[in-house]
Amino acid sequence: MALTQQELKSIENNIVNLLKEQVGPIIKEQSGQYLTQSYDDKANQVDLVTKSDKNIEFIIKGKLKELYPTFSFIGEEEYVPGETKITNEPTFVVDPIDGTTNFIHGFPYSCCSIGLAENGNPVMGAIFNPHLNQLFHASKGNGAFVNDEPIDVAKRPLSLQKSVIGLEGGADRVDSPGSNFDIKMSTYKNLLSDKGGFIHGFRSLGSAAMNICYTALGIFDGYWEGGCWAWDVCAGWCILKECGGRLIGGNKNDWDIGIDRRVYFAIRGGCTSDEQKKFAEDFWNQTTGDLKY
Amino acid sequence: MTIDLRYVEDYLCDLALNKVGPIIKTKAGTQSEYDLKTGSRQVDIVTAIDKQVEKLIWDSLKDEFPNFKFVGEEGYIKDVTKITNEPTFIVDPIDGTTNFVHDFPFSCTSMGLTINKVPVVGVIFNPHLNLLISSSKGNGVRVNGEEHDFKSKIQSMGPLIINKSIVALQPGSAREGNNFKTKMKTYENLLSADGGFVHGFRNLGSSAMSLAYIALGYLDSYWDGGCYSWDVCAGWCILNETGGRIVGANPNEWDIPVDNRTYFAVRGTPDSTKKDQEKYIEDFWNNVGGVLKYD
Repeated sequence: MALTQQELKSIENNIVNLLKEQVGPIIKEQSGQYLTQSYDDKANQVDLVTKSDKNIEFIIKGKLKELYPTFSFIGEEEYVPGETKITNEPTFVVDPIDGTTNFIHGFPYSCCSIGLAENGNPVMGAIFNPHLNQLFHASKGNGAFVNDEPIDVAKRPLSLQKSVIGLEGGADRVDSPGSNFDIKMSTYKNLLSDKGGFIHGFRSLGSAAMNICYTALGIFDGYWEGGCWAWDVCAGWCILKECGGRLIGGNKNDWDIGIDRRVYFAIRGGCTSDEQKKFAEDFWNQTTGDLKY
Repeated sequence: MTIDLRYVEDYLCDLALNKVGPIIKTKAGTQSEYDLKTGSRQVDIVTAIDKQVEKLIWDSLKDEFPNFKFVGEEGYIKDVTKITNEPTFIVDPIDGTTNFVHDFPFSCTSMGLTINKVPVVGVIFNPHLNLLISSSKGNGVRVNGEEHDFKSKIQSMGPLIINKSIVALQPGSAREGNNFKTKMKTYENLLSADGGFVHGFRNLGSSAMSLAYIALGYLDSYWDGGCYSWDVCAGWCILNETGGRIVGANPNEWDIPVDNRTYFAVRGTPDSTKKDQEKYIEDFWNNVGGVLKYD
């Protein structure tokens, strides 16, 4: 039995309060605080971040268990590759701190991302960036909001050449022919080149969730990524859909994907579905190979 | 003639906050009918608003500082416009024009003053993030009017090391030829596990905001070619006040003029000998894959 529109809205409201009151202040306070303490020992730095991550995940999980005891929970910190599966049951998919590098360096684009999937599809999403005080939230059929303002994407044509696209370097930097890093770099070059996509520009904020939110707002026309996880995209996907956008695979012809696809391409709304389709095909034509994870 | 730099700073802040900012904020994302500049800067988008804002700034500054020179993006004429030793306002009415057109919240106004060709006042205002950052030589830096405690910020950031750093990079509008190739090669070198292996790069699409973010301690450095004096003048003064440094983007360009066209900006560090900053600059230059050159 699927969750009703009213039930989803009530969940959305509860998650918004949780983010605002409990999670946001912790992220804001701890961002940028680990640089000196951790510098001498790389492992130590990872541990410190993991500590914040785990602490926040623990708070969220506890609250969600109390409010929705029957729902499943998948969080970045508890995830076991190959074992953790997203079932058809209502499942919270949570990234306690998205944009970990930003969080370490105090660059103001770290956030918390809480999504809800049902039957494998995102049906609720809330993302809070406490540094900029931007809280994006949506649930299926109920529209999308930034803080309390409904998001209304301006209607305008979509084309690859006139687009601004979110692109990231990522953490995987093995530079050998055919590696994911190699494909990303050559694809970026194609997109920028006057002989290729010749796009207006790309931007990098270092947070998958924030990139999807900016695509939902229509600030980005698209966001292409490989290597991120279900918890990086679940919440954002719901927000994007409610804004008329679309999330498809990052590799050629991958129109229909699951939340845990690992390779994604987000497309803004405010235009026709034919324009979105053409945009996807034009974009894929600039990619130089399939990203594999 | 002694010029009260703090007075100039305050005047520019007021202009940015009350006159320029509101226009940028309300007009961003509304310019669907924009022109594309022709030639090698085809991707560079110019809007009518840019011109209108520059006029507003120029008119206001002419009234208040009638003897100062003015260099602005829109009024600039290649090979004719020169920066002299006179007090000169160097102004980008809207920095991050592509951001402005697309409503990406990193367009801003950037207003600087040089004396003897050295940036001595800098004011950057981003009305989308409501962030006003200002400085004048010897007077420190202010964020939204409050003194910016950059010393503790720098202390908290620890040593400056290439593979621990976050670097701002932006490919710019030229998308062919040697400069484009050099940029792409350099990005790859910087990111690669076999090269600089930087912690990450960020692209904000605005030179002024990239410099402001370094001064605030959000970024460690910014490397670019193709920008103009008005893109960097204000940010340069702000960065200087926080112990940061700007050198050329090409190796061994330690001392450069404001209109050098290639720049590498680095944050301040707690090391008073500046040795770590110099080491960082040299390590970074080792990743530059070619020579950036602009006419």
